Amino acid sequence: MTALLRYQTALLLRSQRWLPPVILYAAFLGVGVQSGQPVLDSLGYTAAALLPVAAWLVRICVTGEPAAARACVTAARGPARSHLAALLTALAAAALLGTVATLIVTVISHHATNDHRLPVSPVRAGTAGLLATLACALLGSAVGALTNRPLLRSPGRAVPTMLLATLLAVVVGGSPAHAAVSGLVSGSESGRIPVSPLPLAAAALLTAAAFTTACALNGRRSS
Amino acid sequence: MHRDLELARVGRRYGIRGPWVLRGVDLTVTPGSLIRVEGANGTGKSTLLRLVAGIETPTEGRVTGRPRTAYVPERFPAALPFTPSGYLTRLGAVHGLSRRSAAARAATWLERFGAAAYADTPMAQLSKGTSQKIAVAQALLADPELLVLDEAWTGLDAEARAELERAVAERTAAGGAVVFVDHDPRRLAGVPDAVHQLVGGTLERRTAPAPSPAGALTVVTARGPASGRLPADAARTAVSAEEPAPGTYRLMVPASHSDVVLRALLAAQPPWHVVSVTPSEPSDVPPDRKDRP
Repeated sequence: MTALLRYQTALLLRSQRWLPPVILYAAFLGVGVQSGQPVLDSLGYTAAALLPVAAWLVRICVTGEPAAARACVTAARGPARSHLAALLTALAAAALLGTVATLIVTVISHHATNDHRLPVSPVRAGTAGLLATLACALLGSAVGALTNRPLLRSPGRAVPTMLLATLLAVVVGGSPAHAAVSGLVSGSESGRIPVSPLPLAAAALLTAAAFTTACALNGRRSS
Repeated sequence: MHRDLELARVGRRYGIRGPWVLRGVDLTVTPGSLIRVEGANGTGKSTLLRLVAGIETPTEGRVTGRPRTAYVPERFPAALPFTPSGYLTRLGAVHGLSRRSAAARAATWLERFGAAAYADTPMAQLSKGTSQKIAVAQALLADPELLVLDEAWTGLDAEARAELERAVAERTAAGGAVVFVDHDPRRLAGVPDAVHQLVGGTLERRTAPAPSPAGALTVVTARGPASGRLPADAARTAVSAEEPAPGTYRLMVPASHSDVVLRALLAAQPPWHVVSVTPSEPSDVPPDRKDRP
């Protein structure tokens, strides 16, 4: 598995297909997050914006390899494990990106509530932001896993479905990403920092189920 | 490979209501066997090979006894962001080798296929034939127990084609199984242990050996110890064997398997003495090619 992960990581980094989503994420944060703004509000933006980026990174990892090269790897390791390696690589990339963004946003933001009256502890805010960001990375990867190969193969169906699903995952009540992000945004009003691992745990469960489904179907459907 | 790979009543179709590409396929791949699959275009040869290689899962039926497998596709894309040696080292690790031995074997196989000069050229700049050599090297790197070749010879130059035939001979001699499809009927002619034909989505074993055109042969003359019986590996591989003088044998061997026979002769206990090795014209073949000792 280590060798597969190394191979997938090298493929992702060297292909440079990670550049567009990362640049878009940076641009979005550059517009939406300014230094000196309330920290929890900005962390909410940072987490929510990561969700489509994570889904996009999954799409890059599961479709980036030419089909014949994928067949060679699949013969060596089996359809489920080779697909899992691609999904985990994308998830790790999204988690890394989100962590870096969260740290930067935590440092440059104003450590207070929206009305600038109540102080907000940067360490607790950063922890809450990190939990929310990881929940969004997980859920975005889950959406990516379920809306790309092997479930949806034609880009004409996969890309719109993926974008719609990422939007729904952020805005629909009951979604762990929505819970995590709205916890940060309302905390920025009230000053109560929502350090709860519940959304993260729920997102992890959903992602495990999504990855299992995608890996089990790889090899069953035509690739 | 210690046990058989078994396909039992295997069927494959794409989509829930798609037509069956394959149905009711039974195939046993025993260790050390060389199996050729034939069939017209579009009969599902590639699909069968992908099932044998474990790239796809059958829609119905079972595949049991999966060995360590390697696969060579017909066309290998150059659109990978690696150099050949970088790619092969990574694939060697995926196949289960340590990084160090993967790198060493990558260099060996690139050399064997005459692609050592391109070891550090970006793969995007490689010709189609050189890319195909990388695909072949990738599969042979880790001594797979099962090697699946889907028209792997396509696009290779003459020397690389012969080298791949020799590599196949080495694999089977070492106890690995090889399953292949090739459009050229002379490919490894006379060597496969079984030839299967895909007809109408099912697999039929061709019982009567078709009059396949003879491939290139090599004549090996060897002298054994006084009471010498031909080593079993050599006797099995030879197309024919005659004993012009007591203890001296003249063996007709498929050119792809001459190295395997020589190795068997020289490694026998006590070792045999190889008197001569000469290429032979196909017309030298005795009328009864199955005249084995």
